[in-house]
Amino acid sequence: MSDNAKSLWKDWRLHLLVFAIVVVTELIGTHQIPVGAGVILLLPMLYAVIIGIAVYFTPLVTDKMSKNAENLVFISVTLLIAKFGVQAGPALPQLIEAGPALMLQELGNLGTILIALPLAVILGLKREAIGMTHSIGREPNLALITDKYGLSSPEGRGVMAIYIFGTVFGSIFLGLISGFLATATPLHPYSFAMATGVGSGSMAAAALGPLVAAYPEMADTITAFSGASNLLTTVTGLYASIFIGLPLTEKLYKVLTRMRNQKTVDSNSKGAK
Amino acid sequence: MLKSIQEWVFLFIICSFSVLAGNWIGYEVMPLDAIPGLLVLVGISLLGLIIHKAIPYKKVPSIAYIGILAFIITIPGMPFQEKIVEWTSQVNLLAIATPILAYAGISIGRSWADFAKLGWKTIIIGMCVILGTYLGSAFVSEIILRIQGII
Repeated sequence: MSDNAKSLWKDWRLHLLVFAIVVVTELIGTHQIPVGAGVILLLPMLYAVIIGIAVYFTPLVTDKMSKNAENLVFISVTLLIAKFGVQAGPALPQLIEAGPALMLQELGNLGTILIALPLAVILGLKREAIGMTHSIGREPNLALITDKYGLSSPEGRGVMAIYIFGTVFGSIFLGLISGFLATATPLHPYSFAMATGVGSGSMAAAALGPLVAAYPEMADTITAFSGASNLLTTVTGLYASIFIGLPLTEKLYKVLTRMRNQKTVDSNSKGAK
Repeated sequence: MLKSIQEWVFLFIICSFSVLAGNWIGYEVMPLDAIPGLLVLVGISLLGLIIHKAIPYKKVPSIAYIGILAFIITIPGMPFQEKIVEWTSQVNLLAIATPILAYAGISIGRSWADFAKLGWKTIIIGMCVILGTYLGSAFVSEIILRIQGII
């Protein structure tokens, strides 16, 4: 990705624009919206992604700048990963103690199959559902599905749709719900911190931000757990998809479609969920 | 190789301006106080990118080198560990995240046309995919942390 990144630094208009966005969004600052038992945290980074999308449609941003911006995401994410690392080092004893949870939370990523796949089948989707729900559908999963089924297959179309959805909406959505879930559910912020390693740098940042902002006194440990979770997902995420996620999706899909077909025969709604 | 390193250095300097500004405005850390920590983070990132480029085996992504490197040098007992931790604590995580997502937003714009073509079913399923992945992991962590008595 960074190999073809020649002379990106000369794109001064892009960098100036981002600098301006940062200044404006940080001046606006963090705001909270109470919703029921929890709060939705509106952070500068959330405004930044929305303003970023908005300015793309103004003459300020050319297509070339937008392509350059993609490489800059990669470069700036490395700083975030380094920050994750330096927070994780001092927390080594805690990480060892929490090791089992950190390892096994990777399996929790399969939760998408249990929640999203039945819904996709109820909504009437066919094999697209497998590509859509076997994982969160980032680059490694796109490659996996393309490799196994081809990109123009139903599974390929499915994973592509979720990839596009996640690219545009993933960080905004996670940024909005992460703080709310942490404040409204009985689950501990540490558990959410371990869940932030979903397989995308910007989504991880968007999920982690509200946790750090909502629980500043736990910020160090939260960041350390988040960093470890991200690193583990980077290394093991694809293998979890290959050996567990995808086979499980295939199996569950067969079971669910059989139920759906039976349901249409004897119109028994029990099997749907 | 040298050309890439030069390019990366320039890009890190540019990113640093945004991080320092955000860190100052949003989290009230004076840029001078944040510079040592930011230099450490840039150094680690740069080294990780160089290692990735220098090693012919490309299956390990550069962020893995960066994360592990940053982790190892801050394990208690490593030389200069206390200083590194103290300096980098001046660079707020959220101040790093804001420029990332500003760049991400500008690059996302290009996918908007494709996004607009997605049907309502995809939008709903997509939200459940993200929710399921996130909540699923949090749920598993919660159970194990509680069994261990950590929380």
